[in-house]
Amino acid sequence: MRIGRTAVLAVALLASGCGTLPGRSGGPGATAPWPADTPPQVDLSATPFFPQDDHQCGPAALATLLGASGAHVTPAELVGDVYIPARKGSLQIEMLAAARQRHRIPYVIEPRFETLVRLLAEGRPVLVLLNLGVDAWPIWHYAVAVGYERDAGRMLLRSGRTQRARMSLWRFKGAWGRAHRWGFVVLRPGEVPQAATASGFAAAVADFEHIDKGAALRAYDAGITRWPDAPLLRLGAANMRLAEGDRAGAEEDLRELLLRAPNDVAARNNYAELLSLRGCREAALAEIAVAREHARGTALAAAVDATAGEISARAPAAGEPCP
Amino acid sequence: MTMTLRRGIVAVTLAAFVAGVVPAPARAAMIDTSAAVAASARSANLARVDSVLARADVQQRLTDLGVSPQAARDRAAALTDTELASFATRLEQAPAGGDVLAVIGIVFIVLMILEFTGVIDIFKKV
Repeated sequence: MRIGRTAVLAVALLASGCGTLPGRSGGPGATAPWPADTPPQVDLSATPFFPQDDHQCGPAALATLLGASGAHVTPAELVGDVYIPARKGSLQIEMLAAARQRHRIPYVIEPRFETLVRLLAEGRPVLVLLNLGVDAWPIWHYAVAVGYERDAGRMLLRSGRTQRARMSLWRFKGAWGRAHRWGFVVLRPGEVPQAATASGFAAAVADFEHIDKGAALRAYDAGITRWPDAPLLRLGAANMRLAEGDRAGAEEDLRELLLRAPNDVAARNNYAELLSLRGCREAALAEIAVAREHARGTALAAAVDATAGEISARAPAAGEPCP
Repeated sequence: MTMTLRRGIVAVTLAAFVAGVVPAPARAAMIDTSAAVAASARSANLARVDSVLARADVQQRLTDLGVSPQAARDRAAALTDTELASFATRLEQAPAGGDVLAVIGIVFIVLMILEFTGVIDIFKKV
């Protein structure tokens, strides 16, 4: 298990039990670097609160987060989805999956304190994983960050049976850091957090595609408005349009994408395939040759080679207007 | 008789399995968003590792230890997506940010490189 520790934590196999929050002692938070243009204090007091039952902080925290996003559900209704009685806890991956089942897009935040503060400042509660123990003897706990008091050095949390826990920043950062600063927000399809990255957002929506393609398309389109030059978002939009039967729209998305990012392998590959499917053999061969050029040595090389094989096996169609 | 029946069941189960995993022929050559996201994250992570390995002070220390920077880079490129992501993140979170690395920072980073690329094994879980 050389690299295993981090990988296992990040991927799945970690079930979180639920500890109790430590007391109120703690150091000052004034020394922490604080992101500019955020208010000195935030308290998202309208966030619902569900006091947890024994060990069931996962369902309680998730119900809190979903409720704040307008998806009303009780912790009891979530227990079957995210709670593993034998481990007295919930897997991170199942927390995300359960949010999708409630038609919300879970966005795993960048593992930085600054991002957490910015999300709170834009009014978004953040579900966080904490390790209230130590590395060798972890006590895992899910809570929902709902605000902070910068000058007093406090984080505000819905946590366990406490509606408004005021945890010292010093303790919070330690506990969150020992959980690899894992946390997520939930988004309605079409919502885009200010404190998000294009690649993180695209990854979040890609994992939502199988739930609702139309909603995923709305999310991609909202992302494109925010980040017009991000290739993955237009690629996702094209894939969703295609899945909905809009071949022409998909082709248009990919053309636009390639104008902005001519070296994008996935887009070039898919564009070539679309041209080939409607009988534009010559144009498709030209495009896939470019894609192969750029794909060399990347993770997509094998996929592009396979596409090239399919395209050269397909006959041209007469009378098709080709680029 | 029983054997035949069992074989029959196995065959049916396998057939169902195969039918379930073979994608529709018309879509086989489309790269889906998740695959593109994974590929893009991978190349971004590799670039993060490269930027650390490209530092003269890091290269010097590696060479002092008899490890070629190119070999370290090649080994990084052979890590799985998850391992590479973890490696890149830990490199960046090492206590050695900024342009001027403290000596201890370089040692830490170099040890981490050696660890992840399999030259030594220091971060073993106790």
